[in-house]
Amino acid sequence: MSTCQRVARPIARSMRQDRVTLGFTRTFSQTVIRRDEATKTTTTDTPPASQVPPPSSTAADVTKEAPPSQSRLTPDTATQYWEEMRLFKKGTPPVGSRRRRVAMQTSENVPFELMPYQCFQEARRVLQEDRKEKLQALSLEIARVKRLEETPADQLPGGEVKKNMRLRSMKKWVEELKILVDINDPIVKRRFEDGLGDMDKPIYRHLAEQKWRGYPFRLITQRIEQLNVVPDVLPKFEPTVDVQMFFRQRKTTPGEIIDSRISEKPPALKVQVFNPGERLVSIVVMDSDVPNAETDSFERRCHYLAANVPLSPNNTSLPLSKVNKDTQLAVPWLPAFAQKGAPYHRMSIWILEQKPGQTLDLAKLKELYSGRDGFSLKSFKDKFTLSPVGFNIFRSVWDEGTADVMERWNIPGADVEFKHARVHSLKPERKARGWEAKRQKPKYKSLWKYTKRIRGMPRR
Amino acid sequence: MAASVRGLFSRLSLTTPTIACQRVSSNASPVSSTIRSPTAAALTQQTRPFSSTSPAFAKAAKTAKGSGKKKKKKGKGDEPDPRIQNLKVSNPRKVPAPLRFGRNRALRHWTIHRAWLLWQRKERERQEKELARLYKSMHSACEELRQTSGPGLEEEGYLYRVAMEKKGVFKHNNFPMEYARPQVETPAREAWNHGWTRE
Repeated sequence: MSTCQRVARPIARSMRQDRVTLGFTRTFSQTVIRRDEATKTTTTDTPPASQVPPPSSTAADVTKEAPPSQSRLTPDTATQYWEEMRLFKKGTPPVGSRRRRVAMQTSENVPFELMPYQCFQEARRVLQEDRKEKLQALSLEIARVKRLEETPADQLPGGEVKKNMRLRSMKKWVEELKILVDINDPIVKRRFEDGLGDMDKPIYRHLAEQKWRGYPFRLITQRIEQLNVVPDVLPKFEPTVDVQMFFRQRKTTPGEIIDSRISEKPPALKVQVFNPGERLVSIVVMDSDVPNAETDSFERRCHYLAANVPLSPNNTSLPLSKVNKDTQLAVPWLPAFAQKGAPYHRMSIWILEQKPGQTLDLAKLKELYSGRDGFSLKSFKDKFTLSPVGFNIFRSVWDEGTADVMERWNIPGADVEFKHARVHSLKPERKARGWEAKRQKPKYKSLWKYTKRIRGMPRR
Repeated sequence: MAASVRGLFSRLSLTTPTIACQRVSSNASPVSSTIRSPTAAALTQQTRPFSSTSPAFAKAAKTAKGSGKKKKKKGKGDEPDPRIQNLKVSNPRKVPAPLRFGRNRALRHWTIHRAWLLWQRKERERQEKELARLYKSMHSACEELRQTSGPGLEEEGYLYRVAMEKKGVFKHNNFPMEYARPQVETPAREAWNHGWTRE
């Protein structure tokens, strides 16, 4: 028995007995009364109180409570070592600390919103009144939008243009109100923090976007700037959806240098969009640092291309290896590799949103891009009128596994090593100068001990 | 003062008290202080008078035995480095330490906080509205004055002009009443000091 359990045992026991007799009305400072009812006092050497059967005098309570061994074997209330082991074996590990579970055995399990704290309840009342007001405003606004939509434009001042403008701003206000209705709800906050929020509802999408805009968005924009993605791959770009990348179920930070054996299999993406509705996207993985020795420059290469992939706020999982080979995959995955001596390769992953209702022709994509080399994201985007929305990036360098990976995928060039061309100095050669250089001849043999450091020569 | 600093500081793990050790060695014997050995353990060995073995050997034997000598726990009286203390005093925390709450308590705190913010905002808006209303009603009253003629044979706008007059307000040793008293929300706790006399 752990120390905390040993400490909590007398308290837990007394509280449990109170529960039997008094039904939670008086949980604290009942010791004296309990002593007087001598039937139930327990000495320290009796087994733990949970295993003592409840007194038969309160028959109703007995029927209400399950047999102790059964009730204890729940992950919320198990405190004994053997119970925990059994729960682990069952696959439902105990929840929280043992101290918490001891407390849970005697808790009334009051729902959160009914917790009897005065200030909290007052606060809830204030918030609920506000919510009621907001709901009224929302329904009113929706009715106004409907009325405006039904009126023909020639009856309104300003005509069609003014009407559309008004409609747009009113709809924007409606969306704002929808968020304002629920923004102060602690239950909503809790559900979102637990990851249980329904992303089809505007409030959860709003919270998710707020969270994303906090750190991940800043990080990804910084990477775009630092790694010069913006002038190199696209002239301008601002991400609007959250793209997370997982190699072998491990999340990678943007710009991380990934081992070539790990990036041999395509990553799984988790793409969270923040606007409602289903849409089709294309996914591009490209390498923008393919060295070309002939032209002494770098080129680009397409490593993966898929199109017509459906995406919605609730459908975020996007494993690149699981896309439909017949209807979605245009260019299959080519593992990331960097030849020896070449600088790191930036492997960028792009999510491009297609226009509503637009599907790309796979045959044409295959024809255009199956050559992989010389892929230009900008021309792809312009040709098919796509809008880039999501971005993530990893880097790859030559490592000990790259040669094997290249051999497995029949990629030539594993034996090539890139080296910087030697640039010779334009200055003419000079004789060694200085006191030491002058005393290298055998005449100065006695000084050789002191003439080792010659200016401009490496140490011997 | 020092106690509070120590309290501030208790969360940081502090470095070993090297200064204290060196002081011990220098106090113990001038002979041993000539032999400088870097570790604190060796220093304590040197100060021990009744050991026949040389300190280095004794240490080697201890490690060889592997008895797992417990590290000497830092006593309660050990002060953190005075330099760090000074640093701490001269750079007080700008941000208060984070509230550490359980889940439910944090959520309750959040709820109350949100309600408080909401209430404040509503109150502010209400006050602004009230002020705007007052201003507007005053404005319309002035407008009404401006458009009325009279009393008697006076022409239109006379009353307005008279009402707007600030005669004697900016005289020497004179100024508008609004400047003399701070304009406050609530009446003073003591509205008039009746006992006041000029000395």
